[in-house]
Amino acid sequence: MALDFNFTEEQEFFRQMVRDAVNRLIMPKVKELDEKEEFPWDLWKEFAALGYLGLRHDEKYGGMGTDTITQMIFYEELARGSCGFSMSATMQILMGTYFIARFGNENIKQKILVPAIKGEKIGTICFTEDQSGSDLAGTRTLATKVDGGWKINGRKQWITNGPIADFATVMATIDPKLGLKGLNFYLVERKTENRDGFVSGQRLHKLGSRCSVTGELVMDNAFIPDENFLGEEIGKGVQYAGEILNEVRVMTGMNALSIAKEAMEDARQYANNRIAFGNPISRYQLIREKFAKFWAWYEASRTYLYKCAWMIQNNIPCIHDCMLAKYHSTEMCMYAVEEVMRIYGGNAFCSEYPPQRFWRDAKFLLYGGGTHEVLCDYLGRIYCKE
Amino acid sequence: MEIYVLVKQVPDPEAIVKVKSDSELEIENKYFTNFFDEIAIEAGLKLREKFGGKVTVLTVDNKKVDALRRGIAMGADDAIQITDPALEGSDQFAIAKALATYLNLKDKPFDLIFAGRQAMDDDAGMVGPAVAELLGIPYVNVITGLEVDDPKKEVKVIREVDGGKEILSCSLPALFTCQKGLNNPRIPQVMNVMKAMKAQIKKVDLAALGLNAEEVGGKAAKIKVQKYLPPPKRPPVKMIKEDFPENVKTLVKLLREEAKII
Ligand SMILES: Cc1cc2nc3c(=O)[nH]c(=O)nc-3n(C[C@H](O)[C@H](O)[C@H](O)COP(=O)(O)OP(=O)(O)OC[C@H]3O[C@@H](n4cnc5c(N)ncnc54)[C@H](O)[C@@H]3O)c2cc1C
Ligand SMILES: Cc1cc2nc3c(=O)[nH]c(=O)nc-3n(C[C@H](O)[C@H](O)[C@H](O)COP(=O)(O)OP(=O)(O)OC[C@H]3O[C@@H](n4cnc5c(N)ncnc54)[C@H](O)[C@@H]3O)c2cc1C
Repeated sequence: MALDFNFTEEQEFFRQMVRDAVNRLIMPKVKELDEKEEFPWDLWKEFAALGYLGLRHDEKYGGMGTDTITQMIFYEELARGSCGFSMSATMQILMGTYFIARFGNENIKQKILVPAIKGEKIGTICFTEDQSGSDLAGTRTLATKVDGGWKINGRKQWITNGPIADFATVMATIDPKLGLKGLNFYLVERKTENRDGFVSGQRLHKLGSRCSVTGELVMDNAFIPDENFLGEEIGKGVQYAGEILNEVRVMTGMNALSIAKEAMEDARQYANNRIAFGNPISRYQLIREKFAKFWAWYEASRTYLYKCAWMIQNNIPCIHDCMLAKYHSTEMCMYAVEEVMRIYGGNAFCSEYPPQRFWRDAKFLLYGGGTHEVLCDYLGRIYCKE
Repeated sequence: MEIYVLVKQVPDPEAIVKVKSDSELEIENKYFTNFFDEIAIEAGLKLREKFGGKVTVLTVDNKKVDALRRGIAMGADDAIQITDPALEGSDQFAIAKALATYLNLKDKPFDLIFAGRQAMDDDAGMVGPAVAELLGIPYVNVITGLEVDDPKKEVKVIREVDGGKEILSCSLPALFTCQKGLNNPRIPQVMNVMKAMKAQIKKVDLAALGLNAEEVGGKAAKIKVQKYLPPPKRPPVKMIKEDFPENVKTLVKLLREEAKII
């Protein structure tokens, strides 16, 4: 029996435990988190105390060292509550600490990774600048080699956790003329009285996922020591970035799954209870079709995403699969949150009901891990063997 | 302190339950740990933290062990599943018999047994008290407060009564069934969740208990389900087609005479 789509009893139990934690800690606060638009420190501490921030890290540093499928189950359950919270947490668990765990020396791991796993230090990753988003070759943040270290100069924007971050993995170029070949990752800490580093710039006010705080990081001739260079060789930053993308894409897809499911479960209840023309609206074929379409796309997305997780776990090359699955699940999610806006009728348009929140929250899925235009352009090219 | 907690995995309130036949339900595969049992586990853990000892979670179930796993995830030391094909169809009394027999077998005597006030599926609230009766130990149901004096082997418990509180005391060993308000069950830490995922659940069958198949299961049941009935379907919406004010008069008449709610 080579093909087995079942989760093990243990994985189901793990899912149940995460679901339960989300139900108890996050669900009761979802509306408040969205409205306040502040980072929820109390919730963060409570959540960090459960240990999930160390899910994918080595036990030596306080992590759990779980496998990819377990991590994906976690991401799927986490985003069900607050997307914003999930965004901050996944930044900490995955992108914000990945390169530190991979390339940091023992000193850095003790100083940064250990407290990050405990939730005591907040991390982030910085690619985006005003002139470069999809196109990393446009990166202007400059890293200049000096005695004993590097000087970093530049502004990063759209940085998740930016206003509260203690440390950041920053992509910078040694020479803009080198394009992609000049890019590297550097660990930069927040500037203090006795340490050089980044300062926070402008904070952004977002459409959705609002309790994760987002903003600019500014580095003005910030000195960092040599050990903060994250990599084995100079000029390999883009390759390293590519190596985390499979996980990031499947994780993003998992978020899409759970947002879509949550929105649709809510709408199902609404449709079964809302009476128009003498019947619950779920009796009308045009409404039923929305649920049927969602259901079909959702199941396909979910199966594909877990296949990708399984491929990552088993070291099977899957870069195209992860792109396809991320694209599919996110578009599925866009469909779901849009249709829920319609199922709710006019009520969808006010903050008393959840559809508008799902709709706003879900939009962030479109950008991370490659915009869909960029993904499709690439995938189409590959498919046509151009 | 040797503490045992009786736990049960029950259908999630959101699970779809259908009446399959007069005596059989078809329950969607969505279960969770009876919430009152979580309170019971928490009570046990709190005492262990204070006085030391061991907390063991115990269930009678042929299939579902997640309540035991949750116990371990919360911090219990040990988990025991009493399982045997002959237990199928047992009523609450037979379940209690299996549990009490197991507890009697222990060479190390127990100090305290906790259970939930009732299981959220059958709402019977019988297993806890029945176990205590069979063991011949004192029990108090539906407690919301607990204070243990370990050296004196005495317990003071509180329970809510109409318009006030009742404070009772008894000697150990004793059994208590736990009610909301007693504590706030902890959310398991991921480290313990992983431990629980891998935990070996100890299985005990009827032979190990020295019980005969005839003493438990459907045949021995003192309570028999006569018939399951689904709740009535939501009646169709009745549109009143008359104009105002006749439609209001008709509505009031219908509410009074048909629906009988005013
Ligand atoms: C909520 C949120 C949090 C974020 N957090 C972070 C973070 O923590 N760190 C970080 O570094 N960044 C972060 N970002 C930024 C995110 O990574 C970028 O938005 C993303 O990379 C896209 O870049 P851009 O916004 O500059 O869009 P652009 O690259 O300017 O794209 C604009 C449009 O052009 C299209 N386009 C671009 N190139 C092509 C092409 N070759 N072919 C066809 N179409 C193309 C795009 O698809 C898009 O439609 C975050 C963004 C959001 C919304
Ligand atoms: C910004 C805003 C301003 C508004 N201002 C006003 C105003 O000033 N005055 C006013 O009176 N109203 C106002 N409305 C309310 C608006 O007119 C209603 O939202 C609209 O009539 C739809 O009704 P509903 O929201 O009750 O949805 P419902 O009728 O409950 O519909 C819910 C869902 O069921 C579907 N549905 C219903 N019946 C069927 C069917 N037979 N077959 C298939 N699908 C069906 C609908 O298409 C929708 O998807 C406003 C709404 C908004 C959003």
